[in-house]
Amino acid sequence: MKKEIAVFNINERLYEVVLAPNITLAELLREKLDLTGTKCACGVGECGSCTVLVDGQPTLSCSTLAIACRDKKLLTIEGLAANGELHPLQKAFVEAGAIQCGFCTPGMIMMAKALLDENPNPSRVEVKEGLGGNLCRCTGYVKIIDAVMAAAEMMRKGGR
Amino acid sequence: MKEDLSVVGKRLPRWAANDIVTGAARYTVDLKLPGMLVGKVLTSPHAHARIKKIDTSRAKKLPGVETIITFEDVPHKIFNPSMMNLVQHHPEGELEDMYVLTEKARFVGDVVAAVAAVDGATAEEALDLIKVEYEVLPAIFDPMEAMKPGAPLIHDYAKNNISLHMSFPVAWGDVEKGFSEADVVVEATFQTSKQHVSQLEPCSCVASFDASGRLTIWSPSQHFFPHRRKLAELFDMPEGMIRWINPHLGGSFGKYASFGVEPVCVALAKKTRKPVKLEYTREEDFTGTATREAYVETGKIGVKKDGTITALKENMVVHSGAYFTHSSATAGVSMAHFLGVYRCPNVAAEGDAVYTNVPVSGGCRGYGIPEACFLLEQLVDMAAEKLGMDPLELRLKNVKKHGEFSQMGLPLETETQEKCIRVGAEKIGWKEKRARKKENGTKRYGIGMATFFDVSGGQPFELEDRNVYIKLNEDGSANLITGAGEIGQNFLGTSAQIAAEVLGLRYEDIHIVAGDTDSSLWDPGQMANGNCYGVGNAIIKVATDVKKQILERVSKKLSVTPDELDIKDRKVYVQADPVKSVTVAEICRDAIYNHEGGHLNIAQVKVHLRRQRILHPPGQYSLMLKWIRQRVR
Repeated sequence: MKKEIAVFNINERLYEVVLAPNITLAELLREKLDLTGTKCACGVGECGSCTVLVDGQPTLSCSTLAIACRDKKLLTIEGLAANGELHPLQKAFVEAGAIQCGFCTPGMIMMAKALLDENPNPSRVEVKEGLGGNLCRCTGYVKIIDAVMAAAEMMRKGGR
Repeated sequence: MKEDLSVVGKRLPRWAANDIVTGAARYTVDLKLPGMLVGKVLTSPHAHARIKKIDTSRAKKLPGVETIITFEDVPHKIFNPSMMNLVQHHPEGELEDMYVLTEKARFVGDVVAAVAAVDGATAEEALDLIKVEYEVLPAIFDPMEAMKPGAPLIHDYAKNNISLHMSFPVAWGDVEKGFSEADVVVEATFQTSKQHVSQLEPCSCVASFDASGRLTIWSPSQHFFPHRRKLAELFDMPEGMIRWINPHLGGSFGKYASFGVEPVCVALAKKTRKPVKLEYTREEDFTGTATREAYVETGKIGVKKDGTITALKENMVVHSGAYFTHSSATAGVSMAHFLGVYRCPNVAAEGDAVYTNVPVSGGCRGYGIPEACFLLEQLVDMAAEKLGMDPLELRLKNVKKHGEFSQMGLPLETETQEKCIRVGAEKIGWKEKRARKKENGTKRYGIGMATFFDVSGGQPFELEDRNVYIKLNEDGSANLITGAGEIGQNFLGTSAQIAAEVLGLRYEDIHIVAGDTDSSLWDPGQMANGNCYGVGNAIIKVATDVKKQILERVSKKLSVTPDELDIKDRKVYVQADPVKSVTVAEICRDAIYNHEGGHLNIAQVKVHLRRQRILHPPGQYSLMLKWIRQRVR
């Protein structure tokens, strides 16, 4: 398969990569760029673990071709904290104890980020619906929802 | 709980929480070593088939392929991937019936060959080029059918596909006499189902040999010391030549009480002498790794008119699947929890483990206990109905109390089961709801309950030796070094809390070193809800010892007796005159950089808890009460 050179804007940094057109975004992030914070649990777009934001839209990176994301702004879990300070969602996940094994956490947080960007004042039901595509096998959903609600409040009060 | 606790009982962040929320935490699937190859497995598309021929010649020629291995390239040693025959003591043990790569496929997903190549795409292409000639054999999927004469034989040694007949070792009384004394006898058979563990992180492993032949393996495990021993035996290596490291672990739920992909990954690394990473796809994980055992379980209960249980008997068919794995350990646990909840003078249980051509079973959350509870509580409800007795009263009459003996033969230290039932009944409005009308047009109403007990620590059947080091640093912080690992419950954070509490330090002063066979003392593993209890007690013991040494040293400096001192918030102070104090950091620096020969052994302390009685018996009781409303058509 013919490889191409492509430039990606990830977490406000430009990466020049030589890649085959059949490489998924998850493979690009995890294998080529060592951005392993994005997890792949199912590889077929069922579990939400691999969620990243592409031009602000939540995107399943395991089921998206990397090449389709050129010229777009990508945000992964590694880019969420700014200047050494955790994003309100990250703080809230730590404080609420919304982490068990932690494997679903990056995907949950990225999905929640997209949700709060669109709806800064969601109800619990809206949070549940928003995170409906993200699986937590440890079944820590209650605290995850608590964390998103707490983060929403923090952000409304002036956090990022 | 004591009122003046300063770290325990506080809401504190999970261990390594910041690493997890920023994506910095490294799980096995995230690891990458220089020159690392990617491993892939070729699995059988047939449920039952003998391999007549494997042609790997074309695949081997593919550029980028480093090696291809089949059953001829792996140790011709039979093994069982379960760790239970190393950490549990029970008469039958776990049968060994597996090879690293098989010569005969026994389920769809059985691994017949493996490839190591420069990247995943090349390895996958190589798999397509391997030609396997199968002689497809008749397959069988139902354990009851598998036991019938004439059923296809899955393992040559196991007649009628029965691998093992098991009797519960701690039976007592005479069950037949017990049933003859009963006014009501109920017998029923239920079938439970398989369930995949489905941890989120796909089963994976990285293995690397150094130039002297020492193996380092990064892989998720609940029992990495026993895993290391089993791997050593399988590959004819001394245990000391293997270092097992547990990275962050994306869920286990009993799965990693067995090997995952380690044997194949190590075989590839050994052949190529290069680091190899083997990571299952979700599909491979679903078809090739542990599921809950399915049971066909028959229970019998005898009860007198007044509700006294006179006899309990169980017979189980354990649906192992293609290999034995945890079949006897889970069945034993299941039997103990069927027989152990209620006071009963006559108990017995037995069962058969049966092979079929479905994927392997293994350890899975609850480990036989949910199945035991399901069977027992159905029987109790049926008996109550026959007696015309409130099922809650029937249970209250028979649950064991403080000082009575558990099925493992140890006295119960709690009597919360009775309290649990009473509180639950009150909260849910048991009496009122039972008195309500049960029918209203097309609607039917009902209320039900079930109770069970669980253990904290698996004694006397399981090894519960727990070992901890505490090492003080010059800044007054401490390294807590444990052979126990984190599998998602924040056990390591809890450990840090316990250590900080005893030492008079802050939570953030405890630096955890865990999940590495080279740096810690032996630990049996994470099992039977006993981690916090067992390791926590070891931490209390070792931290108390460290504290004593600190106080003795300070007592000489301040010319007081050690009893007059205490430590709080990083300071050692005279209790009667708290102004007189030194910081833990000062005393640590003094003890470590000491040119006068006065160096005290406060840097390293270890403790060894063995068969501590309080680990067992049951520390937990649960009660499930549910008000069910169902619409019937």
